[in-house]
Amino acid sequence: MTSPIPDLGRFAEPALLILVSLSDGPKHGYAIMTDVEAGTGRPLGPGTLYAALARLEERGLIEALAPIDRRRPYRLTAVGAGVLAEQLHDLAEFAELGLKRLGRSPG
Amino acid sequence: MITLLLRLYPARWRARYGDEFELILGDRPLGPFDVADVLLGALDAQLHLRGHGAASVHGKGFAMTLRVGGFAAILGGLLWFIVLAWNAANNGAESGAYWIGLLLLAAVVTTLVALVGLSAFQARRYPVLMWTAVAVPALGAIVTLLGAIAIVIGGDSDREVVAGFSGWAISTIGVMALLLGSGLFALATWRTRSLSRPAAALLAIGAIVVVPGLAGLSGGIVPREIAGLAVLAAVIAFPAGWAALGVSALRLDRAATARIQGATS
Repeated sequence: MTSPIPDLGRFAEPALLILVSLSDGPKHGYAIMTDVEAGTGRPLGPGTLYAALARLEERGLIEALAPIDRRRPYRLTAVGAGVLAEQLHDLAEFAELGLKRLGRSPG
Repeated sequence: MITLLLRLYPARWRARYGDEFELILGDRPLGPFDVADVLLGALDAQLHLRGHGAASVHGKGFAMTLRVGGFAAILGGLLWFIVLAWNAANNGAESGAYWIGLLLLAAVVTTLVALVGLSAFQARRYPVLMWTAVAVPALGAIVTLLGAIAIVIGGDSDREVVAGFSGWAISTIGVMALLLGSGLFALATWRTRSLSRPAAALLAIGAIVVVPGLAGLSGGIVPREIAGLAVLAAVIAFPAGWAALGVSALRLDRAATARIQGATS
């Protein structure tokens, strides 16, 4: 399984969760945080969120929009959407392989 | 507190993210987990900022996670079991006091990490309770450390150090603070159902029964037989409660990872 989100180390998983959260439209930081927590049942601290956001922005996978009431929404860039699709595809293939080996059909 | 936390980040980072970050910190009650996460985030930004951007070019960094709390709780439970069982078996002999003191310190520190790492969801509903659950043991950790230093320097755990208290007695006061904090944490966890309720109940039992146990053994307030049983129950329940909470956190963490991967298949 390849990792199309390069050099994110400890932040690879939060970064993936953020990209997935932004896949249905732009969101500001707090909305991303609550969306990720609701989807995973796992806490996401503000320090981790912004460390991952900063890295994703630096790599051109997300971009900031004009602030609304001091809150700056973020959205996926075309590169980010492509990277996310590739990553999800890899994960899906990996899950399918695992399920086949377990003798269970995917889906 | 928010202003103080923001000041820990580099000026360049604050110029870019400061405004929105300040808002997000004020959006919900800040618990020990969030503050620890922001401290690690600030350290990451200070260590890894390069170039002219506001982001780190390094993948490596620090983050507070449920996994960290889970592993700390399991390790802490194991250390507490060793400390409590060894201390009971040592029966006041000086030979093992030094190593028991060191292990006690490790157990206290590890439990503090567990308290912070596992407190995220409880703090959203009971911020004051969770801050108390962390602050009391944190003070207790300092007291335990002072007691341990007194034991190491004095070379005798029973020698009077200050106001009639021996090094070992000072350490015990610190441990009592940690027991109290653990009990409060168990109560908040039970009420929020954020981790296993049976594990929280086990931890609470361990934190409570040690009180009549110690009171009976040292002051004769409780009959010695009952006190002995209470101490035995605490030696088992307190470490087992922490370890079970750690396992519960790791299971939750693993289930979340599985959900993420399942959603993509």
